Amino acid sequence: MAIRTIEVRERVMARNDKFAATVRRRLRAAGVSSLNLISSPGAGKTTLLERTLQAIGAELPMAIITGDVQTRNDAERLARHTDRLVHAVVTGGGCHLDARQVLAALAAINLAETGLLIIENVGILVCPAGWDLGEEAKVVLLSVTEGEDKPQKYPAAFRAAQFVVLTKIDLLPHVPFDPDRARALALEANPDLQFLQLSALTGEGMDGWLELLRSLSPRLVHT
Amino acid sequence: MEICRVARDKLGREGSGQLRLVALAVGQEAPVEADNLTFCLDALLTQPPFGQARVAVRCCPGSDLRIDYLEIDDGDSDD
Repeated sequence: MAIRTIEVRERVMARNDKFAATVRRRLRAAGVSSLNLISSPGAGKTTLLERTLQAIGAELPMAIITGDVQTRNDAERLARHTDRLVHAVVTGGGCHLDARQVLAALAAINLAETGLLIIENVGILVCPAGWDLGEEAKVVLLSVTEGEDKPQKYPAAFRAAQFVVLTKIDLLPHVPFDPDRARALALEANPDLQFLQLSALTGEGMDGWLELLRSLSPRLVHT
Repeated sequence: MEICRVARDKLGREGSGQLRLVALAVGQEAPVEADNLTFCLDALLTQPPFGQARVAVRCCPGSDLRIDYLEIDDGDSDD
């Protein structure tokens, strides 16, 4: 038996990062802002996007890419609220989107008529944090039905994000969730995080979220 | 899966041989759990075209996830 060693010294993300750079270049050239939404399953990403499309879909030309392990359910839910493209990526077992998938999805999107691209990543707080999709910013959604110590358990997600959206705040009177502690723990992981809190169900706090999206997009349609 | 793709590419370039070991460096701040990664790779690397390869993980500082080296069994005799 002859064993030989091949030196590799290669970053696992190297190939993905090249695709991400291409995505970022194309979006910037087209003047399209982009957000990558990550969260645990059930934190409310799709519901937030449904309410967002209902509220400002007519004034802000958005394109959405959804990632799911199986089914196109999220994309179909969102497509009911917009005439614009909602592109589903079914990862077939993969626990995150990668930049190659986003680049492929861009081919179907009319970037010249898009102001904001929102990527709804696969619902998990581990892997999506480490994959650059070429987005401008990552947004972590944390629902009040989860433990407030999520930032301690999944620090990489909070380190990689620029924004944290605390969701389902209408349930705060009914669950033992301390928003101040969650915020403090998130800031320990990343002192530069900006916070929003809202209920997509009741609409409380949605104004702040919508204002953020408006401020990101240079391509607003004033009706 | 990206690790398997890189390993498959390298194996293809080598032309022959059986993959025996994939050595990884996993940063303490990398967005993966080393034990989980090892578990998944152990499952993938026992499937074709890899045969019965093992995974060796070395923890290191930082956030990088890197393939350090591969070991390949050429099947030749030593003499």
